[in-house]
Amino acid sequence: MKTPVHIIDNRTGQPVEAELFDEVTVEHFIETQQEWRPLVLKAARQLVAHGSRELIPQHFHWDWTTKAPELSALANNFYGIRCENKLQGLMKLQTVGPFCRCRLPEQADKALVYVDYVEVAPWNLKTLAAALGEKPVYNAVGSRLVEAAVLKSKEEDCKGRVGLHSLPITELFYRKVCGMTPVGRDSAKQNLLWLEYTPEQAENFLSGAR
Amino acid sequence: MADKRTMTLNLTDPEMRLLDELSARKDVSKTALLRQALRLYQMVEERLNRGEKLFFEDEEKKKAELMVV
Repeated sequence: MKTPVHIIDNRTGQPVEAELFDEVTVEHFIETQQEWRPLVLKAARQLVAHGSRELIPQHFHWDWTTKAPELSALANNFYGIRCENKLQGLMKLQTVGPFCRCRLPEQADKALVYVDYVEVAPWNLKTLAAALGEKPVYNAVGSRLVEAAVLKSKEEDCKGRVGLHSLPITELFYRKVCGMTPVGRDSAKQNLLWLEYTPEQAENFLSGAR
Repeated sequence: MADKRTMTLNLTDPEMRLLDELSARKDVSKTALLRQALRLYQMVEERLNRGEKLFFEDEEKKKAELMVV
């Protein structure tokens, strides 16, 4: 699957066409290690040097190549967004597994699609770009990936129900931008905040995203 | 979306009742539920084939190994 999506080019303030794809390979994981990780680490060092250690994203150490064995499992779906021939974001979904059940009381135990990992390129992250003396290049990459998760949920008959554990730095994004409901901290998952979409919230997000 | 193929599935009454019950509880179609079950089976099989073990853990952190045939 390859679908055109629009993200915002901050250099012009205009939407530009990018490509959302689900045929993610180990080559894309290697690209994150070669193109993203050095910048993430460089930005993290700058933040430490300027006494802003708390702004270092908690995912700075992620290594997508460790997920290569998971590419063949039907329980997992990977999505990427490419623009200007560069990988702008990457996401791993699970359609079955221990986290694929709802926790919101009004939809408890129903099936959902779980966002296991999502990461956008460091040059699109405000904090990291600023640490490198730049402005974020693209906006809305994360939103397009969340949108893909909702569409996958609908495809799987989960009616838009999506759940995820958010890192502290992205909690505001999922709550305010995506409109997900914060359900509570999960002691089984580093005390991260669990957020969830009801079908109605997911539809509202899609309506706003279109 | 990947191309799909159709098959006929023969289930006993208890199996069909379970499928009805689970699809209602999970709020997905029976087809979606069976597709999830198949993926789960693949995930478990692959991990067991790699030499990993499958455990359930209760609230007191007691673990019970699940035997899979």
